[in-house]
Amino acid sequence: MSERSYAIHPRTQLAAIAELRWRLFVNALRTTRGKLELLSQIVIGIAFAIGGFGGAVGMGFAAALMISAGKPELLALLFWFVFVFWQVFPIMATAFANNPDASDLLRFPLSYRSYFLVRLAYGSIDPATALGCLWSFGILVGAGFAKPALLPWTLLVLLAFVAFNLLFMQMIFAWMERWLAQRRTREILGILFVLLMLSFQMIGPLAQHFGKRSRPDVKRYIEILAPVQGILPPGLAADAIAQAMYPRAMTSFSSFALLCGFGLIVGYYLHLRLWAQYRGENLSEVAAASVLPKDRALRLGWILPGFSIPVAAVFEKEIRYLLRSGPMLLNLIMPLFVLLIFRFGAMNSLRHSAGFMARSSDMAFPAAAAYTLLMLTNLVCNSFGGDAGGIQFFFASPVSFREIVLAKNLSHAGILMLEATLAWAAVSVLYGRPALDVTVATLAGLLFAAPLNFSVGNLLSIFSPKKLDYSSFRHQKPSQTSVLISLGVQLFVVGVGVAVFWIARIYRNFWIATVVLLILSAISLTAYRMILNRVDALALERQETLVAELCRA
Amino acid sequence: MDAAPSISIQGLTRRFGELLAVDNVDLRVAPGQFFGFLGPNGAGKSTTIKMLTGLLAPSAGRIEILGLDLQKNPVEVKRQIGVVPEGMALFGRLTGSEFLNFAGRMYGLDRETAAQRTAELLDFMQLADQPKKLITDYSHGMQKKLAMAAAVIHGPKVLFLDEPFEGVDAIAAGTLKAMLQGMIARGATIFLTSHVLEIVERLCSHVAIIHQGRLVAQGSLEELRAGVEAQTPAGSGDGGAPASGEKMTLEQIFLRTVGGSRHSDQELSWLG
Repeated sequence: MSERSYAIHPRTQLAAIAELRWRLFVNALRTTRGKLELLSQIVIGIAFAIGGFGGAVGMGFAAALMISAGKPELLALLFWFVFVFWQVFPIMATAFANNPDASDLLRFPLSYRSYFLVRLAYGSIDPATALGCLWSFGILVGAGFAKPALLPWTLLVLLAFVAFNLLFMQMIFAWMERWLAQRRTREILGILFVLLMLSFQMIGPLAQHFGKRSRPDVKRYIEILAPVQGILPPGLAADAIAQAMYPRAMTSFSSFALLCGFGLIVGYYLHLRLWAQYRGENLSEVAAASVLPKDRALRLGWILPGFSIPVAAVFEKEIRYLLRSGPMLLNLIMPLFVLLIFRFGAMNSLRHSAGFMARSSDMAFPAAAAYTLLMLTNLVCNSFGGDAGGIQFFFASPVSFREIVLAKNLSHAGILMLEATLAWAAVSVLYGRPALDVTVATLAGLLFAAPLNFSVGNLLSIFSPKKLDYSSFRHQKPSQTSVLISLGVQLFVVGVGVAVFWIARIYRNFWIATVVLLILSAISLTAYRMILNRVDALALERQETLVAELCRA
Repeated sequence: MDAAPSISIQGLTRRFGELLAVDNVDLRVAPGQFFGFLGPNGAGKSTTIKMLTGLLAPSAGRIEILGLDLQKNPVEVKRQIGVVPEGMALFGRLTGSEFLNFAGRMYGLDRETAAQRTAELLDFMQLADQPKKLITDYSHGMQKKLAMAAAVIHGPKVLFLDEPFEGVDAIAAGTLKAMLQGMIARGATIFLTSHVLEIVERLCSHVAIIHQGRLVAQGSLEELRAGVEAQTPAGSGDGGAPASGEKMTLEQIFLRTVGGSRHSDQELSWLG
């Protein structure tokens, strides 16, 4: 028996964790699917890089112009933009985020300091952080170019600003995790969050809507808001640089000190959360109290006229899953909110003349229907994602995959019909009742687009599955390959729809669109039928990949 | 064993790239047998059970269940078997009642029968007192019981169970054992894998042992015991052998068969 004990070196542990991440990445490349994912990530990464570098150059020019023009206080606009993007994008675009769970590492003798650093490092592997850092660098270069003497001070302020953003983003995620750990609070938080996001989207249109009536009021609000933003971190960062130019060293330094103070406060709240995790808090669901059901009547399953019992069973299961998924439900009501936003003129502000919807209100229903279909993409293109381990049940049951996929598509079609009806009602209220010819042409368009989407979606669901947690916003990341392919299909469908409706408008006869779209729908329905008939063979061929991908922990 | 076997495997082989997970396995399980399929970790037990239930395609070989070729009649075979696979195959965001109702209809039961059996199974498994709880919020043992209930809702003639007692408490294990023994009494065939050798010894009449993908022993417990004892001199002092005059336990048979005892000589000197 050895008496030897080993000293724990945080650096060794951090190196081991870095190597673990690297091995996970390399091992993922062993499969064709992993390589395809990497390729898709590279394509998406290039798009981000263009945005990142383009944005950095833009930020640099803007910063240089503002300082050269003697209006450094305007830098606040740039800092606010960077701050809002950095904090909001990771939450809204979880599909692009990569946030592995560092709490798994707690079983090892990791010091709290190492754990804190690892959490921070894990959280920094994120496009928003990369873009935020790049844009901050752009501001630094621009400011340095305009006023070289200020470069060291600007660098210091920007470092504090970047550190604050990093800590703030991690703090938000850490506290959200606390809430998302329990199903009920998770779903309530999800609903509140999306409503908050929607309310942000409504601010612009509403401000513009009311602004038309009383511009002085809006100006007054801006005057009130200006000092308020000045005492918040982005405003403080801008002020620290601006005051140094005048030069008001004390004011500049106090703004910088306040910015650091914010960083410390945020860091402290992050520490509270991470410390609780480090000490082994248990966030599992609280066991529900046992109740003996009073109603002992048998609960019969649903029936679907014209379809077999298994198809009805899968249909019922799909609908129950959707009804229990806060994120999915909110995703599905988005088209109605978007209609509202359009109505209040969000897009009008982007155009010199009246907005597209205002000028072409007859196109409101087709546009809403197209958007409705777009919202279904996640569901259609990864239809086994939410089933997770349940996929084994499908393979073990004596039901053909054709029936299972058909049932899933029926549920998607049912949702689409419901959404289209709601969109029609919303358009009727907001823009006036759509004409009969437009309504029929739109339905014909859906008859073309839906089978095409379902065909591609069924193939992607089998060839590029990704396990999803319908209850959580963080685990909604679809396969990057599916994202790219479905984007292509949507562009094609929208392109065809726009072309057909455009021609019909030129001839002032929407029945032309109906005829063309019905012919196209015959083609897409044939393609759908052909693919559906091949689904059994394809599922069998891809059985191992499907089970491996969806059953993994 | 004159009756046509419930399960018949000939030359069953499965490769994962270079790895030969199951190597040319031949096996017959007679109707009404409680059959234990044993082996060390990674021996090929789960791979075999997956192939027997249509969850994994074999690289070679032939599988017949109740006289039906699995590859030619997968749907008909699946209709007559029940399975609790390695991952339990549950739909986490359904309640227990909804899942059983769903499973029953997927196995061809009409709505009334599915609902009736769902209620009976929930009562039997003592899962009826939390009707609104989602499966994802069930404990591991509760999920195991529910998976078992889903596997038997259609009254299968052959039941495949992969580690059915793993993570299940003594009370639940007793419930499950009673149900399985009842099925055997009514003529069903059960094929199970388990690492709990005491349970296998108590329940199973026949056992097969797989090691490194190859079947190294099969037969009734007595046949296995006789076979191993014939190769082991009594009181040889080997860790896998019983003291003179005592009956060999299944654990001893298992250790002797897969050669586990030789590792006990090794020692990790640096362990505290």
